[in-house]
Amino acid sequence: MRRFTIAAGAAAVAIAGLCAATPVAAQKTLNVAMGAADLGALDPHRTATTQDKAIIGWMFNGLVRIRPGSISPADIEPDIAERWESSPDQLTWKFFLRKGVRFHGGYGELTSDDVVFSLKRAADPKTSAFSSDFRAISDITALDPYTVEIKFREHIPSVLGILTNYQGGYIVSRKAVEALGDEFRSKAVGTGPFAYADYQRNQAVTLAAHKEYFRGAPRIDRIVYRYIPSDASRDLAFTSGELDLMFGRADQKWVERMRQTPDTQVLIFGPGELGAVHLNITKKPLDDVRVRQAVAHAINRAQIVKFRGESVFQAAVSIVPEGYLGTDEKAPLQPYDVAKAKKLLAEAGYKDGITLKAIQTSQPSMLSVMEVVQAQLKQAGINLQFEVVDHPTFHAQIRKDLSDVVYYSAARFPIADQHLTQFYHSRSTVGTPTAVTNFSHCGMADAEIDAARVATDPEKQKALWKEAQRKLIEAVCSVPLAGNTQVWAKRGKLDLGYDLKGSLSLGPLITEASTLR
Amino acid sequence: MIGFVLKRLLVALPTLLAVLTIVFLFVRVVPGDPALVILGDSATQEALAAMRQQLGLDKPILVQYAEFMAMVLTGDLGRSMLTSRPIVAEVLDVLPYTIELTIAALVIGVVFGIPLGILSARNRNGWADYATRLLSLIGLSFPAFVSAVLLLLVFAIQLRWFPVISSAALDDPSARLRSLALPSFNLGLIMVAYVTRVTRSSMLGVLSEDYIRTARAKGVPARLVVWRHALRNALIPVVTVVGLYLGVLIGNSVLTEIVFNRPGLGKLIVGALNQRDYTMLQGLMVIYAFIIVLCNLMTDLTYGLIDPRVKRT
Repeated sequence: MRRFTIAAGAAAVAIAGLCAATPVAAQKTLNVAMGAADLGALDPHRTATTQDKAIIGWMFNGLVRIRPGSISPADIEPDIAERWESSPDQLTWKFFLRKGVRFHGGYGELTSDDVVFSLKRAADPKTSAFSSDFRAISDITALDPYTVEIKFREHIPSVLGILTNYQGGYIVSRKAVEALGDEFRSKAVGTGPFAYADYQRNQAVTLAAHKEYFRGAPRIDRIVYRYIPSDASRDLAFTSGELDLMFGRADQKWVERMRQTPDTQVLIFGPGELGAVHLNITKKPLDDVRVRQAVAHAINRAQIVKFRGESVFQAAVSIVPEGYLGTDEKAPLQPYDVAKAKKLLAEAGYKDGITLKAIQTSQPSMLSVMEVVQAQLKQAGINLQFEVVDHPTFHAQIRKDLSDVVYYSAARFPIADQHLTQFYHSRSTVGTPTAVTNFSHCGMADAEIDAARVATDPEKQKALWKEAQRKLIEAVCSVPLAGNTQVWAKRGKLDLGYDLKGSLSLGPLITEASTLR
Repeated sequence: MIGFVLKRLLVALPTLLAVLTIVFLFVRVVPGDPALVILGDSATQEALAAMRQQLGLDKPILVQYAEFMAMVLTGDLGRSMLTSRPIVAEVLDVLPYTIELTIAALVIGVVFGIPLGILSARNRNGWADYATRLLSLIGLSFPAFVSAVLLLLVFAIQLRWFPVISSAALDDPSARLRSLALPSFNLGLIMVAYVTRVTRSSMLGVLSEDYIRTARAKGVPARLVVWRHALRNALIPVVTVVGLYLGVLIGNSVLTEIVFNRPGLGKLIVGALNQRDYTMLQGLMVIYAFIIVLCNLMTDLTYGLIDPRVKRT
């Protein structure tokens, strides 16, 4: 009898378990896969890696936002701030906040105090990776619970640009940052349509719908954001229907294959990422401009594009990615001309050719491009030697100024200023205290870059950026190769709810209006 | 028996200490910067320096070493630099997955490997022997990630019997078994190949011994000769291989874990390496060292069970 009772009890528990499981299954769960091994951080101010950007974009808001699907600063619209005004000299800005914006998980209503805290945090190098974007800010104050005033020391290209839902512009909860301490890294609290629910190391982050989202409750209940670093198993999981949205590959064959897969849409969108070979102008023999010109003439961009595939790669037009505000779309890049390259080398006194050293990441997508470059340079008598290291080592060593030649691929806020400042301003030179990613040690266009940043006349600003690009190209600080777009794939049942042309978070935004059929 | 165990443990201690020191140094010699990994590529030097200070990386290396050793000796492995969670908690999260995968692979290896090895040895140079040897050769030379993708293509994509993402929650037994099937089979295949080969060669050696001939001459049935008389003696090398391989299995399951999207120790250590999570790496190395020592100890003890003479030496 006793045994029977236990068995009956077990059966009851099992049935109850099944019943309880049913409503969970009816929930609309969006399954996403990222091509990375693990989360870096969810704290928006402290991570700039691609794998974190997309998911952070679903959890946070800025004072303003670029309309979902666009990356054009012309499409900036209200987000947390419902309206704003600026003084005639554009140095004092007032933002009027929306009422009733609530943070995730009971952290209450967002007020100007959170905005002030957040922007100060983003401007502080001790707590932010993006402090340099906020250098021009002199003061941020809360005038009342729903009004924030921001004062600038000098004019900057786009005030609204640094306050969008992107990087340092994301607004975090002051209470949560203070209460969670170090844990805020992985349990960040924002105001966006989706809130942190769970994290399993090396596996997945789960987000839950933020029912009190100020634009309305999201129509998707849960998002499971998985980390699947293996391209093959990500594709397999997508094919078997276990994923609705995934990080793709900027690779022609992959795009073609996915387009053949039933019920699948390949998403190709901006911003463009530009790969460039930076040449260290302080190291021999690259200190001779003729040698650098020879390198530029020996590189065949068209061939690289052909190698990588024309649907996701485009030949570079300048040293700033195509389509950014201020890019000189017809910049005077050195054309492919091997004979001229050889002649220039001979003039510089290197008739028998030269050898250059490059510390190179083992990441296949980057290494394969450089192997093509290596073969092209060989034709002109330039012997490019690789020291292949793993990706974190690569990043550390190139910042220690150890490589003559650095191949680097990056997308930035689509205004020429950020790209030019971080890669070509002398203040950003690697090895200095204010270093960012200037690997070439160039500084000949500092005056133009600085003047363009504070210019108030858009035409003059564009002219300055154009001149900066001309100077830097003439000095061959880098040889831009090709730009690639962002590539993801989604199932037909996921409707993003907007037309995807671009996304600053480098992944499709999932908004309150996105649905899963 | 207890004396035997204690002696083995005592020998393991200096090994562990040396391993700890080497681990500590290696982790720091590897170029790379955790602050850079955390903050991303547009961070300024100032921000990086602040992050390094927060992570304790600005302290002199000897201070870091002393802190590390003190922590290990008190049984505390510290916290992950990246998630700020205790390392022990991180490991305990994934350990059940690693253990179930390893045990399942081991069971598959032994259950299929030993009979196949015996079959092969008994039909020496016959077709069954050639077929088994060929199969085990394929099993050994096939990279785990290739067999994994093939298994997925057939059983998850074509037949749809098993999921591609094999990371079912711990509290759902049936889903969990389904998740375990393909990865354990993938890992088990290599194990089968190893065990088959070792069993075969060891069995061949034993079968040519005098006492086997005597048993046969006395008219003991062939099956009894093999299963009772020969197998027990042939098992010692098999146990050695299984024991050694157990440690390898725990570490090498990383490819299987990655392709099948399973949590596990292997994935944890590769992730920590990629992100330069120094404290996590150290902690994991310590745990690995313990596991290997434990595996070896268990192997030694199993010898004792199979062959009582071992205990006396």
